[in-house]
Amino acid sequence: MSSVELLEIRDFLAEVPPFSLLEDDALGHIVDDMTIRYLRRGNAFPPEDEAEAQCYVLRKGAVEERDDDNLLLAKYAEGDVFDAAEFAAGGGQFRAVEDLLLYCLPSERLRACRREVPEVDAFFRRTLGERLRHARHRVADRVLFRPNLMSMPLSSFITRHPVTAPPGASIREVAGLMGNQATAAMLVVEDGRLRGIVTDRDLRARCLATGHSPELPIASIMTADPRTLGPEHPAFEALMVMTRRGIDHLPVVDNGEIRGLVSTRDLLRWQSANAAHLAMLIRSCDDAGELPALSAELSELEIQMLAGGATAGQIGQAISSIADALASRLLELGQARLGPAPVAFAWLAGGSQGRQEQSTHSDQDNALILADDYDEHEHGAYFEALARFVNDALNDCGFRYCPGEIMASNPKWRQPLSVWQDGFRVWIRHTDETLAKVLVNFLDLRLVAGAPELQQAMAQHVVAECRHSERFLAQLVENMLANRPPLGFFRNLVLIASGEHAKTFDIKTRGIIPIVDLARVQALAAGITEVGTVRRLHACVAARVLSEEAASELEEAHEFLGLLRIRHQVEQLRDGQAPDNFIDPERLTSLERKHLKDVFAVVGDMQRTLAVRYSAGGVSA
Amino acid sequence: MFGLFGPDARRRRLLRKAPEGPLRDYLSVAFPARRSDWREVPFVALDLETTGGDPGRDEIVSFGWVCIDRARIVLSSARHRVLRLSGDMSPTSAVIHNITDDESAAGAPLETVLSEFLGVLAGRVMVAHYTPTEVGFVAAASRRVYGAEILTPAIDTLTLATAAARREHRRPARGELRLANLRRRYGLPRYPAHNALSDALSAAELFLALASERRGPIELGMLMSPA
Repeated sequence: MSSVELLEIRDFLAEVPPFSLLEDDALGHIVDDMTIRYLRRGNAFPPEDEAEAQCYVLRKGAVEERDDDNLLLAKYAEGDVFDAAEFAAGGGQFRAVEDLLLYCLPSERLRACRREVPEVDAFFRRTLGERLRHARHRVADRVLFRPNLMSMPLSSFITRHPVTAPPGASIREVAGLMGNQATAAMLVVEDGRLRGIVTDRDLRARCLATGHSPELPIASIMTADPRTLGPEHPAFEALMVMTRRGIDHLPVVDNGEIRGLVSTRDLLRWQSANAAHLAMLIRSCDDAGELPALSAELSELEIQMLAGGATAGQIGQAISSIADALASRLLELGQARLGPAPVAFAWLAGGSQGRQEQSTHSDQDNALILADDYDEHEHGAYFEALARFVNDALNDCGFRYCPGEIMASNPKWRQPLSVWQDGFRVWIRHTDETLAKVLVNFLDLRLVAGAPELQQAMAQHVVAECRHSERFLAQLVENMLANRPPLGFFRNLVLIASGEHAKTFDIKTRGIIPIVDLARVQALAAGITEVGTVRRLHACVAARVLSEEAASELEEAHEFLGLLRIRHQVEQLRDGQAPDNFIDPERLTSLERKHLKDVFAVVGDMQRTLAVRYSAGGVSA
Repeated sequence: MFGLFGPDARRRRLLRKAPEGPLRDYLSVAFPARRSDWREVPFVALDLETTGGDPGRDEIVSFGWVCIDRARIVLSSARHRVLRLSGDMSPTSAVIHNITDDESAAGAPLETVLSEFLGVLAGRVMVAHYTPTEVGFVAAASRRVYGAEILTPAIDTLTLATAAARREHRRPARGELRLANLRRRYGLPRYPAHNALSDALSAAELFLALASERRGPIELGMLMSPA
């Protein structure tokens, strides 16, 4: 009853999680059961003279946490909450560094509150991974408008049984069947197993246009062993697979059993302005001069996807797939202008595009592998012109020139396979800090267009070299330690490990990149050739070099940071500012700050673990 | 300050003259000893809103109080009581206290609130910012309701702050001794002074800050009449 009057305390607690999760009545009862203490600076915290354990809310003042070597671990201020149970769990020594005004609630009373209010209990009980999973919904909620159809499973897009034919059926029979059934694609099935797929386009391109006899079996023109997805995969993923491969149909197969066929048109019905649509426009664009206008749609796509509830992972994939489509189309247009390529090549994307984690504001990173029959004299000028054409056009499309010149137009990064392989062998074996910094860009290369065998040969070579070079891996870890996450927040400032404060923090270099680095090093050490951060983490779990819990924490942390970053950039775009990576803690909710602090802790712990394993970064690491 | 025999001796003298009832009950509980460690002494921080500055003529508009036990402010003890006034409230004080005539008309009689407050005050030391107001108005209320004198040992946070400034060889600047300014000086949060209870809470927190400031064991007497 008295609490109704204690607005000063109530209003404050209403902003502090977990108390912010309480209904008015429950919050009032909590206030009733509180006491207020004043603790002078210099005293140990929590105060040692309490008869029963207390949960403390810092109302005013500051507390530092230091380890046994007096190294600053964290700093707390207004709105930070400590339950006595946390202190028992170990950690550092806490001390009041400013006079403290403390709101105290008996821990027993907090436990009762947790029993009564599930949300409060969840706040404490969820594992970090679960908390972040929960948190990221709230990040997007701020700009959320409608449910995300793209996260619906593929099974909900299958409308009828697929039309099928045996491999021995003639092309003519199959064409007739497709006409009767009014379908643009048909599955070739033998003994209940999927053997291949045939589309309208195949009939035209591989039969009519080439004079291939329509009496021959359909197997002679089908695409054998096509890419498939399971019915549980989200529609979004199917769209990405089709976009990346430039195909319009995807069989849905559940453990070998054919369930149906989805087409881009089925999926597009759900979302008109989307990645696949944009990629389609890009792939059919005949004039490089029109591509910048199409690329300008990317920002809008990013905003729409965020608003539609897409994850940062999905947005990164979508933007990377558009960048891929641009590069592929530009290579085609370039060849149309310069003539067909004289030797086989592979165009690779690196950096965030390579990892499929691109944002609309990334620089371009790319490289060109040429087949070993490449001759500098004979072919050099051709590939230089082709690379320059693509790099310039990408720059015009908003993917700015790489400041480090990591582009195919740079002759260093446009080499025959054997030169690349020899180079990697030398660079990896004789690495140093600077070399390793450059090499990192080539550890995330992914094929965008050209000959897959060139890319595979290089990737396997690189992974094999890295895996066996402890020194190179140690150097990667050492370089990774240059980007440590902040310790947390102190008032409206970012607390840095040196004990200093900053107004903003760079979410990319202090949050996202460290996770990318952690996944890369561990994947390379395990001989994994995947390049995406999440894929690497999953592969590390499968290879038993990373615990499922650690991987899930890093994955959620990566997703949470990614979403915060995209939201930040979308807000900047909306406000007419140039997007950057500097997050001002003042613009975060207190719950988001708490989750960020958890994220920093996870990343910091993992960095320390790797630092110890590779004895990098000195003892204090 | 309380004469040769100290406050407790005076209390016993007043007790003999007090009429049966709340005043007598209050006076029959011993005052905390001046030699006690202040952390062991129970306090109650009080703030009164009044219609003016003269206890003989003006009325109490509202009471706000909160107890301090073992150097901890106990929020469950916080109370805010609006009184029914005999005369109309002057328009200016209504603005200051955010209490309208209607609210006042629905308020409790002085007798009820005074009796409740004395029940809490028994065995405690009063804490207020500028005690002459609270001590004077409670004394006047006692005379009016019980027709007898009361004695309320009190600690004045304003006096404590002045003494603290003196120990630093400073003369407090103009306005520095106002409650809100002192709170800022001692790093306490800014509370909107919206009623008697928030002022009582403000005074209670300031008292903890001022008492904690002094090193070594502090006796109650040192806070009641600071050097």
